[in-house]
Amino acid sequence: MRRIFASVRDGRGFDIMLVGVPFTFLFALAGLPLIYNILMSFQEVDMFSLGSFIRPFVGFDNYVALFKQPETIPILTNTVVFVVGSIAGQFLLGFGLALFFWTNFPGASWLRGLFLVSWVMPGLVVGAIWNWILSGDFGVLNFFLRESGLIDGNIFWRSDPDFSLWAVVIANIWLGTSFNMILLSVGLSAIPGDLYEAAEMDGANAWQRFWTITLPMMRSTIGAIISLGLIFTLQQFDLFAAITDGGPNNSSNVAQYWAWDLSFRQYDFGRGATISVIMTVFVMFAAAVYVRSTRHEVRG
Amino acid sequence: MTQQIELSGVNKYYGAYHALKDIELSIPKGAFVALVGPSGCGKSTLLRSLAGLETISSGDLMIAGERMNDVPPRRRDLAMVFQSYALYPHMTVEQNLTYSLKIRGVKKAEAKKAAADVAAITGLSDLLHRYPRELSGGQRQRVAMSRAIIRHPKAFLFDEPLSNLDAALRVHMRKEIRALHDRLGATSVYVTHDQVEAMTMADHVVIMRSGVIEQQGPPLELYDRPANRFVAGFIGSPAMNFIPAKSGRDGKSLVLDLPGSQVLDLDLGLPPGHAVLVGIRPEHLAIAAQDMPGFEVPIATIESTGATTFVTTATAPEIVLVLNSRSTLAAGAMIRLTFAPENVHLFDAKTEKRLATKP
Ligand SMILES: Nc1ncnc2c1ncn2[C@@H]1O[C@H](COP(=O)(O)OP(=O)(O)OP(=O)(O)O)[C@@H](O)[C@H]1O
Ligand SMILES: [Mg+2]
Repeated sequence: MRRIFASVRDGRGFDIMLVGVPFTFLFALAGLPLIYNILMSFQEVDMFSLGSFIRPFVGFDNYVALFKQPETIPILTNTVVFVVGSIAGQFLLGFGLALFFWTNFPGASWLRGLFLVSWVMPGLVVGAIWNWILSGDFGVLNFFLRESGLIDGNIFWRSDPDFSLWAVVIANIWLGTSFNMILLSVGLSAIPGDLYEAAEMDGANAWQRFWTITLPMMRSTIGAIISLGLIFTLQQFDLFAAITDGGPNNSSNVAQYWAWDLSFRQYDFGRGATISVIMTVFVMFAAAVYVRSTRHEVRG
Repeated sequence: MTQQIELSGVNKYYGAYHALKDIELSIPKGAFVALVGPSGCGKSTLLRSLAGLETISSGDLMIAGERMNDVPPRRRDLAMVFQSYALYPHMTVEQNLTYSLKIRGVKKAEAKKAAADVAAITGLSDLLHRYPRELSGGQRQRVAMSRAIIRHPKAFLFDEPLSNLDAALRVHMRKEIRALHDRLGATSVYVTHDQVEAMTMADHVVIMRSGVIEQQGPPLELYDRPANRFVAGFIGSPAMNFIPAKSGRDGKSLVLDLPGSQVLDLDLGLPPGHAVLVGIRPEHLAIAAQDMPGFEVPIATIESTGATTFVTTATAPEIVLVLNSRSTLAAGAMIRLTFAPENVHLFDAKTEKRLATKP
C-alpha cells in the first residue's frame, strides 16, 4: 500500500493514473457496449436469451439475412440521401451565413448568437415544431409555397412517400446549420486580415480572394465540420421519431432508426446489432478523416 | 520631372478623429522617401491611403499622373511589404511569389521563370519549395520583398518591414533594400519609426506628428536646419539639447537659464526679454581647454561605449554631450562647455518655430 502511495507521489504512478482513469471510463461506457454489440451481431438473440452472454453463434447469418430483406437497400439508400442532403444543406447554408456575418455589419455578433437557439433546442422539440410547419393542411411551409406560386395543391410532407424523407432532411438542416455557421465563423475569423490586403494589392478581386485565400485557409475547418456533420447526422434519431416515425412504408426510414426499430420494437436484437456495426464502421471512417484534417492545420 | 506619386490637400478622418491633416507630398520617379514620426502619428494611415487600403476623405491622390482616389488597390499597381509580411501560409515560397502573376493570367512556365529570377536576386533560390512556416524571420522578410519585386509595380510601399528583425540583420537589410531600390530604378515609400533608418536610406525624409507633416526634405537638410523644435528633437541621436534662454537687454545676447545666468553673445535682433530655446546637438558640444571661455557645469553621469563617451550634466534641464574619446572625468567634477556659434539652433519658446540666426 505504501509503495502505491509513494509511486503516486513520485509522479510515475500519477501519470499512469491520469491515463488510467479516462481510459477505464471510456472502456466501461463506450468500449464494452461496442464489443457487446459486435458480439451480438454474430449471435442469435431473442427475448429469452437476452439476459445471457452465451448464445448460439451464427457467424455471418445476421448479415446475410439482413441483406436479403427487401427493405435493406432502400433504407441504406435513404440513409445516404439523408446524410448527404443534410450535410450539404447544413454546410452551404452555414457557410453562407458565416460569410454574411463576417462582413460585420452593426449587430452582427448578437444576431449570430441568436442563431444558436436552434442548436440548443432538443431534437424532439425541434421535431414538434417542424411537425406544425410541415403539416399538410395548415402548415406554414405549404402556405408560403402556395402563396409564392411554387405549388398548386398542398404537399403532405410527412405522409407522402415522395416527400417524407425530405421533410426530415429539411428539419435536420435547420437544426445543424447554426452549428456549422459557428464553427465556420471561427475558422473565418482565424484568417489574418492582412492576407486579404496582400492579395488585394497583388491584384485579386473578391471572388479570386475567396478561392485562393479563404477556401484553402479553411480546409481543415471544412474537413472537420463535414466529418462531424457525418457523425451527427448518422446519430440523428429524435427527428425521425417526432416527424415521420420512419414511414410511410419505410420511405423515410434510415439505418439508425431502423436499428432501433428492429431491436426494441421487433425484438430482433441480432439484426439491430448488425446494422449498428455497419454504421460504426462508417462513423469510424469519418472520425479518422476528422482526426486527420485537424492534424493538417496550415496556419502560421 | 514627372511625379510618380502626388498628394495634395489630403485629409483622412476615422469617424471624428482627424488622422491626416492637409498632406502635401510629391514623390518623383526613382525617389526613396521615408515617412518617420512617433507611434500613432499617421504614417501607416498615409501609406495605406496610398495603397488604397484606406480611402481618403478629401484631397487628390495622383499616381503616375492619374487621379486614384476611388481606384481599388488591385488597380493601383503598387506593391506593399507588410510589417507582418502577410505571406500566404498555404503556399510555397514559389507560389507566394507567382501569386500576382497567376492572378494576372501569366503562363505558368513564364511565372516560374520570373520567380527563379527574383529568387536569384534576393537569395531565395534554395527555398522556393518551402512553406513560410519553415523559414526564419529574415528569410520571410526576403520572400515579402521578392513578392513585391516580381510585379515591377509603379512604386513600392514598405510599412516598417525590418521591425521584426534583430539589430544586426536590420542594419544589413537596410543596405540591401536601398541597393535593390537603386538596381531596379524603383520608386519607394518607406515607413519607419526609426530616424536612423530614415536618415541612412532615404533621399527625402518626411517627418510627421499627429497627422501633420512637420517638415520634409533631404536628410541632412533636416539635420542642419530643423524647422521646429519637434523635428530638431526627433532627428539625431542622442537628441538635441534644449536650454531655455531670454534675449538680453540690448537684444544682442542671450541669457541662458542655467546656474550663474551665463551669457551667450549672439546678434539676433530680438526684442529684449524674448523667450527662446537654444538647441545644440550633443555631438557639437565640447569640453573647453584650460583658460578658454565656456559654461561651467557639474557632471552627473559618464557612460562609455568604448568608442564614444556620453556625458550628462547635473543641471536642469540636463545637457548631454558626446565625446569621441575616452575620458578621465568623474561624476561631480566641473567642466566648461564650449561650442561653435554656427551650430546653435534657436527656437521661439512659444511657437517652437525656428528663429533665423545671423550667420
Ligand atoms: N481603423 C481605425 N479606426 C480609428 N482610428 C484609427 C484606425 N486606424 C488608425 N487609427 C488612428 O489613427 C492614428 C494613426 O494611426 P497609424 O496606424 O497611422 O499610426 P502609425 O504612425 O503607423 O503608428 P505606429 O508607428 O505605431 O505604427 C492613431 O491615433 C490610430 O489610433
Ligand atoms: Mg504603423
